[in-house]
Order: sequence, then C-alpha cells, then structure tokens
Amino acid sequence: MGKLWVISIASIFILLPFLGNAFSPESPTDRRVLVLLDDSAIKSSHSIYFNSLKSRGFDLEFKLADDPKIALQRYGQYLYDALVLFCPSVERFGGSIDLAAILDFVDSGRDLIIAADSSASDLIREVGIECGVDFDEDPSAMVIDHIGYAVSETEGDHTLIASDDLIKSDVILGSKRIEAPILFRGIGHSLNPANNLVLKVLSASPSAYSANPKSKLSTPPSLTGSAISLVSIVQARNNARILITGSLSMFSNKFFRSGVQKAGEKTKHEKSGNEQFLTEISKWVFHERGHLKTVNVKHHKVGETDEPALYRINDELEYSVEIYEWSGKSWDPYVANDVQVQFYMMSPYVLKTMSHNKKGLYSTSFKVPDVYGVFQFKVEYQKLGYTSLSLSKQIPVRPYRHNEYERFIPAAYPYYGAAFSMMAGFFVFSFVHLYSK
Amino acid sequence: MGRASSKEDVGALFRSLRSAYAATTLNLKIIDLYVGFAIFTALIQVVYMVMVGSFPFNSFLSGVLSCVGTAVLAVCLRIQVNKENKEFKDLPPERAFADFVLCNLVLHLVMINFLG
Repeated sequence: MGKLWVISIASIFILLPFLGNAFSPESPTDRRVLVLLDDSAIKSSHSIYFNSLKSRGFDLEFKLADDPKIALQRYGQYLYDALVLFCPSVERFGGSIDLAAILDFVDSGRDLIIAADSSASDLIREVGIECGVDFDEDPSAMVIDHIGYAVSETEGDHTLIASDDLIKSDVILGSKRIEAPILFRGIGHSLNPANNLVLKVLSASPSAYSANPKSKLSTPPSLTGSAISLVSIVQARNNARILITGSLSMFSNKFFRSGVQKAGEKTKHEKSGNEQFLTEISKWVFHERGHLKTVNVKHHKVGETDEPALYRINDELEYSVEIYEWSGKSWDPYVANDVQVQFYMMSPYVLKTMSHNKKGLYSTSFKVPDVYGVFQFKVEYQKLGYTSLSLSKQIPVRPYRHNEYERFIPAAYPYYGAAFSMMAGFFVFSFVHLYSK
Repeated sequence: MGRASSKEDVGALFRSLRSAYAATTLNLKIIDLYVGFAIFTALIQVVYMVMVGSFPFNSFLSGVLSCVGTAVLAVCLRIQVNKENKEFKDLPPERAFADFVLCNLVLHLVMINFLG
C-alpha cells in the first residue's frame, strides 16, 4: 500500500509538466485559447464553430471583453497561446489587455483571430491597422454587392453577399475544394500596400463596394471591387498567424447552417461554404497545418562523413537538411521541389535546388567556387502559407597550400625545357671556356 | 646621288664590322655564341607564349628569365675577360670565371624554385 502511494506521487510529479501542455517547438499547435466576447449570447449563437475547435483539442476560455480580471500574461508568462477577438464593439478592454498587450502577444509568436462588424469600435480598427489592414473609415458602411449578393427572402439591401473568390492555396484552405460560396455580412477592409506579409484570402467580387446601405450615395465610394478584402491573413516574420475579417456573423450558426444561392446563378447549395472555410482556415491559423521545422543541418566533403572546420577552393561538398511539417499530431516529412541552398558571401556564388528522398531529407552537392573567404550556407525558404525558414551556417574557405598546386603542367613543358637547357648549356660552356686557349 | 652613297655606306659598314669581328679571339667568339643561344631560346619561349597564352605564368617567367639572366651573366664574363678592356686590366680572368659560376648557380636555383 505504501509503495503504491509512492509510485503514484512520483508519477504525478513526472507527468506534471505535461499537464500544462502549451505550444512548444516540439508541438506547435496552440492549446489554450482566450475568446473575448462582447456579449455572452455569442457563445451560443456561434456554438458550432466553438465546438469544432473544442473537438480538435483546444481549451477555450470565454470571457467578456470588459471583464476586469482578464490578462494575457502573468509574471512574464503568457497564459494563452491564441486570442480570439469576437468583440467588435469594445471600446476598452478590461483587465490588463490593451492594444500594446495584444501586439506584444503577437510579437511573442502567438496567434490572433479578429472579427469586426458594422459596429466596429476604434480600438478594433486600430488593432486591424497594426496588423496591416484598413477597415473602411465610415462607421456605418457595409459591403454591398448588387450583383454577387446571396438570394434570400428577408435581406433586401444586398448587404448579405455570397463570395467564392478564394486564394489558391491548399495549405491555407485545405485540399478539399470549397464548393459552396461563403456568406458574408459586415464591413470590408483593404490591405496596406506597403505591407508584404498580409494576404487576401477571400476578396469581394469586382461589383462590390463599401457604403452605408441606408443612405443614398452622394460621392463615389472609396473602397470598391476586388480591392475589398473580406477575410485576410497575416503571417508575421516570427511565424505568428493572424486572421482578420469584417463579419462576425460569418462564424454564426445561422450562416453555417443556411443554404446559399448566389444571385444570377442557378445552383442552390444546401449548405454554405462557411463551416468548411472557417474550420480549415482556423486549422492554418492555429498551426495545425503549414508549420515547418528543420533539423540536422549537415555538410561534409564528398566521400567523407565528418564535418570539416573549413573547406578548400575547388572541393566537392555535400549539404543536407531535414525538413518536417506538423500535421496536427505528428511531424511528417515535408515534400517539395523548390527548397534551395545558397553558398553565400555578400552574394550567392552557388544557388542550387535541393532534391529530397521522400522522407524529408533534402540534399545537394556542388563544387566550392574558386574564391576564398568566409561563406555561409543559407536556406531562405518562403512559400505561401508555410512558415518561413531561415537557416545560416558559416564556413571558411581557404586557398591552395603551396604543395596543392598542379605539378608538371603539359602546357609549360617548353619552359621547363628552356630552363634545363640553360643549365646544360652553362655546364658545357664552362668546360669549353676553361679548356680552350 | 645621296641614295646610292647611303647604300654604299651601309655595305661598307657591314664589311668593316665583319672584318673587325673576325679579328676577335676564339674565346670571345665562344662567349658570343653562348649569348646568342640564350637569347634565341628566350625568343622561342616568347613566341610560344604569344601563341598558346600565358597560363602557367610563373613557368613562363622562370624560363624567360633564366635565359635572359644567363645571357646577362655571359656578357659580364665577356667584358671582364676581354684583354683589350682597360677597365678590368688588373682583374685576373680566373676571378671573373669564379664570379660567373657562382652567379649562375644562384640564378638556376631561383629559377628552378620559381618554375613550379
């Protein structure tokens, strides 16, 4: 009985670290998610979406946005791995959360989902601006599309639009095609043109524009056509992922369950594409897909196995690296044809595409260029939807030692012959000179 | 009138040079032959380099300079050994020859090292 006690205590202590299972480099999927709501009714009106997250193993914590006890970090440790802001009209967050805290949260590599609405407050708009999207400045504007709207009996002002203008990326949207259009009702945003990390996932059709549906248009709208983005993503340089959308109701049970028929098309889909779209894209945002890691960078001379401290010019060498992709539960080998390695000193002297054995080992071999100095093996890989890889390993390259040069060059035989004939001539001449009168 | 005389002058010049040269001792003629051989070898190497390119440039330099250096040392020997030369009247010809041999040894040592 005493032994059992000891064993159970010991096992608890050993397993304790695994209980607080957050995201870590070994298991990058987020676990603990803080969901901030305007109104607790959202918890039930958007329950299908939340349940799909819970069924994938996430721990959701629902709090009101102005709850005074919410905090993202305590004593320097982050309490959550991802933040979902379903609170478009919040003016000030409660507790210790503010714009700076949210930006620090993202800067630490954690993920963020923001859903705005036609009642979006300045705070939410500012969070959007910091992430690289500009919501329409007019507070009462919504996206209107008189040609691509969703046919329905109740909504007559064409603010409920059905859009299927999706980005082409299997990593972000999943391999299964989204057949039905996606219902959207809310505000649109445009992407900051100076920002090269933000991408449009779902854009409005060319006939859409952003304006107040209740008043007559006096001036042409500033945001029109495909420049309006309905759903955007940002992958930051530290691989934090952000999803921004202007319609909270896109996540609602009502939109998930309703059928959709785009105006002007004959097919009526039984179920809108919202559930599939948002489930797949949340898999991407929470690092269940498209997350790469590299291990085992190795380089050696062809024919040897250990890594030398420096190479000589005109050496043949081999470089290899293993790249794995997180599948949500385990690390699978990553398969692609476009991973390149550079042999770089101020500019790449060698740039080669690496070939892989199907198990994720990428390797290539090349000849060291005829230049000596300190080079770097660089792998800079940025593919749409995948984390960016940036590896660099320094290696010096030395010139020939004095006994490594070529000897007995055939082209130089006349010179050798001349030098030796001079020596022979000198020898003969000295005899002749001494013994002639 | 002027052309005919300059042609005769050139001819007269060559004839007098040849007759004066025939009067030099055998010793000096042998040295002159040696110098001619060295320069000729150097010229062959330069022509070869012009045809083929200067790839092992150090070998080319070594070959040409060994020829030129040999020629220079032989000329020095000729100057010092020539009995009609007033400047080196008191220099024993053996001493001149010893200098010649030593310098040639150094020259060939350096040239073999540079030959690569």
